[in-house]
Amino acid sequence: MKKVILVMFIFQTISIPSSWVLAQTGSTWEVARTIDGDPDLQGVWENNTITPVERPDVFGNKSFLSDDDIAFLRRRIAEINAAGDDALFGEGVLQAAFSGEITSYDPSTGNYDSQWMAERTIHRRTSQITQPSNGKYPPRTEKAIAAAKALAEHRRDHPADSYTDRPLGERCVSFGAPRLSSGYNSYWQIVQSKETVAIIQEMAHDVRIIPIVPMPHANKNIKLWHGDSRGYWDGDTLVIETTNYSDKSSTSPETDRKVNVEKLTRISETALRYELMSDDPGQFTGSYTREIIFDYTEDDIYEYACHEGNYGMANILSGHRVEEARAAAGLRER
Amino acid sequence: MCDRGAQQLCFLIVVLMQVFVCGSVSALENTEIPRTANGRPDFSGIWQAIGTAHYDIEPHASDFGPLVENGAIGAIPGGIGVVVGGEIPYTDEGRAQQEENKATWLENDPVVKCYMPGIPRANYLPFPFQVIQSTDHIVVAYEFASASRIVYLNRPDFEAPILSWMGHSRGHFEDDVLIIDVTDQVADTWLDHAGNHHTDALKVTERYYHAGPNTLIYEATLVDPAVYTEPWTIRFPLYRRLDENMQLLEYKCVEFTEELIYGHLRKGVSSN
Repeated sequence: MKKVILVMFIFQTISIPSSWVLAQTGSTWEVARTIDGDPDLQGVWENNTITPVERPDVFGNKSFLSDDDIAFLRRRIAEINAAGDDALFGEGVLQAAFSGEITSYDPSTGNYDSQWMAERTIHRRTSQITQPSNGKYPPRTEKAIAAAKALAEHRRDHPADSYTDRPLGERCVSFGAPRLSSGYNSYWQIVQSKETVAIIQEMAHDVRIIPIVPMPHANKNIKLWHGDSRGYWDGDTLVIETTNYSDKSSTSPETDRKVNVEKLTRISETALRYELMSDDPGQFTGSYTREIIFDYTEDDIYEYACHEGNYGMANILSGHRVEEARAAAGLRER
Repeated sequence: MCDRGAQQLCFLIVVLMQVFVCGSVSALENTEIPRTANGRPDFSGIWQAIGTAHYDIEPHASDFGPLVENGAIGAIPGGIGVVVGGEIPYTDEGRAQQEENKATWLENDPVVKCYMPGIPRANYLPFPFQVIQSTDHIVVAYEFASASRIVYLNRPDFEAPILSWMGHSRGHFEDDVLIIDVTDQVADTWLDHAGNHHTDALKVTERYYHAGPNTLIYEATLVDPAVYTEPWTIRFPLYRRLDENMQLLEYKCVEFTEELIYGHLRKGVSSN
């Protein structure tokens, strides 16, 4: 995690568009090779992009930001950081940039402050989703809509009867794979051997192991939180296919039908183009494609000892028990 | 020594005698060690220890387990021990603490709660682990609790930024031996269910070397003057998992421990 630098002007250089344009126009840059002759994707890569998953309506049909858009965002990010307010996770930064308001993730208790967030990088796309072409997720299935509604009602009525009522991340059970949220512990380290690619997700100390030799997937009856990955090289692109997701690995229905295909291509010394093509028929009526540019960093990743330090779970549960006891005793909440 | 007439046979007998005299386990001749493309010994693969060191690294006979209802499958099997010399050279206070730990291990052993096991314990748990060896880093992914560590090769000046459960690992090669120095491990990890322990001053020096195409010898020397009167060493083989299509699965055990850790805080539990 990098600390936000609270200076008045934070100018993130737009390293990606220039290198992305170079890659498109056939520059002479070539990816280096590992000692086994494979494209070298190794290093620590940060996903601190400000690009939202879905295209905000304010961008209309635009797939890419203009120079004026970028200047506006730079100014607003600087203002938000200087305000030193509550931390903004994921797309909260972009929303705050346009709305002019910082909406805290947890206004009741208060939240991390902005010091805990990494500096956000502006990339040119207006959405991570590139297909469908409107930059938004495909429509959800009826089942998924019903399941989301039921879950929201349950959480409203039973916010913390048990640890099972809390999100998987709060329980330190799983943050998913691939974990693609940006701006917080959003670092991957890639290490390659002759037969295996390891992607270490800093959150939460998970190593995705991807054999790059021909090998069948695990038996279909073995369902996994992070699925089962197999990879191969397609030219200079690492292609990863992941199946065997367990139903419980996600709150949306029939996650065991999900198949993810990821493509990683190093497009410059400092940029890794990541593409996810997800077919998740339990949740969406069609497949979608997401693109994220990961930026190279000299930082090393830290251990994320989630469960070992999970005071939050005990405090959330016991706090609710105290509130219930006070309500039962007819006392007003403070 | 060998007369001309039976020279070949005699020579063979002499060589065989030397092999047996030198001991049953030794580093392979250079040509037999699997190597990476840059000539280093290759430790990549899936490995697992066999034995009962995870119960108790000191020599021990079998004994009762902590839960009556588990009967024979919950009792503790014996072990010849992996501690070189047999006994950990504790200070008096260190030994007393170990005995107290052992008496309360079900309640206090961090691994029971699915906390990360630390080094060296992760290497002799009854779960496989996978080594992915590159030129500047070696990743070790443990099936237990999805624990992992990154070994930083040839960065002796890279100090740990902070204490961690799996410690900070810096590695280098000396001939065909991989040496990893592990420092800055939190004091909370134990070495086994028998309550063997350390402080955060612990320094572990690991040595890995090949004893066959599918066997490693693992040694770890532990130094911690706060609890040990002198350095001491554990040593045991690591075996390559040769099952067809072998892979790590998940043992994301947090889920299996939530009731144990938080059950008393659920709504409607009688103590609330």
